[in-house]
Order: sequence, then structure tokens, then C-alpha cells
Amino acid sequence: MIKIQREDIDIEGILESVKSPASGGVVTFLGTVRDNAKGRSVAKMSIEVYEAMAVTQLEAIRSEALEKFGVHEAAVIHRYGDLEVGDNIVFIAVAAGHREEAFKACKYVIDELKQRVPIWKKETTPEGEFWVEGEKHE
Amino acid sequence: MEINIRYFGQFREFTGKREETLEVKQGITVEEMREYVRGIYPKIAAKEEVLVAVNGNFGPLDQVIEASDEVAFFPPVSGG
Repeated sequence: MIKIQREDIDIEGILESVKSPASGGVVTFLGTVRDNAKGRSVAKMSIEVYEAMAVTQLEAIRSEALEKFGVHEAAVIHRYGDLEVGDNIVFIAVAAGHREEAFKACKYVIDELKQRVPIWKKETTPEGEFWVEGEKHE
Repeated sequence: MEINIRYFGQFREFTGKREETLEVKQGITVEEMREYVRGIYPKIAAKEEVLVAVNGNFGPLDQVIEASDEVAFFPPVSGG
């Protein structure tokens, strides 16, 4: 399951959706809004997404994770819009036969997401608003 | 030919636009298109990295852009 949405994430529902009788575990990653960045305090965050491309890229990353690590199911849900400190941003759940491939696949999905999924964060701080600088590419 | 360009993230603020249509020569490549847009917007030109997607994919710089393509310009992504 891949979803880009404004509303909060139904974590329990996603967990249930990825579980299967053949899976021995589910590894998850939940990204949340931090109250600080680069020494500045962060009050709010605004997230912008190029939705059509983000869905395409996330579908590709999900397929790669399933194939590379032999995991059973993977779900990625990313939010956009205006968020407060502590709010959920992204949730990844990977179900697999054993924990090792599930941990690896979950890390792969979040690392790739941060490299190639067109989503941008802007932080509101006492000194003003700042776009979060993405990592440089080769 | 006319190409529809979309801007995201900080580039949307730099250009003051979500999208626009630009008149370009037939057979323009991704790299040439990037130079053209850098020429219009000094703030984009000043950025070390300018990403260009064609129809939702990061293609090679020598990819030829067709009139029906959707071209998007944006800075390095920062989701997650």
C-alpha cells in the first residue's frame, strides 16, 4: 500500500494490512515532526508534495524492497500539509518471514524515499520559515 | 513548441508560479531546458543542484523533451 494523504496515519490499520500468516514479524519506521533543527527551535512544519510522481517513485521503491530482500509486504504512507511538533509525517511497515530482511527492507525504503521521492519540508522557527535542504545527489 | 513546466518546493517561491508554459525549440534536451530556466530565474541559477523530472521520472540529461511531456523543476527532496 502506497498513500500520500493530508490526514493522520491509521497505524493500527496499516499494521493489520501488512501482516500475513507466513510473516514472522513486522518492522516499522515512524517519522515525526521534531521540535528542533540545526540549533533552531521548530514550531510547525509544512510539507509539499508532487503527488503523481511521489506515488510512482514510492511504488517503485516498494517493488525494489520486496524483490531485493524477499519480504512479503511493505506499506508507505506519507503526509502533506501543515503539521505540528510531534505529528506523524511518514509511516513504513514491512512484513517478512524473519526480522533481518524486514529491518533491511525498512531501512532501504526510508533511505530511498529521502533521496528520490519529490516531497519538501518547510520549518517554521522563531527566526522565520526555512526550507529543509535535501541531500545532494551525485 | 510549447512546454508545460511545474515548479515545486522552494522553486515555486523563487518563480512565484506553480506552473507556466514556455516556448522552446523543437528537440530541446533536459540539460538545455535546465539552462533555459536557469537563465530566466537567477535564484534557481544560484542553486547548486536543480532537479528536473520528465513525466514523473528522473531521465538522462540528453533526453529530448516532447511537447506533450510534463516537466517539473525542484530542489533536492527532503521528505521522510
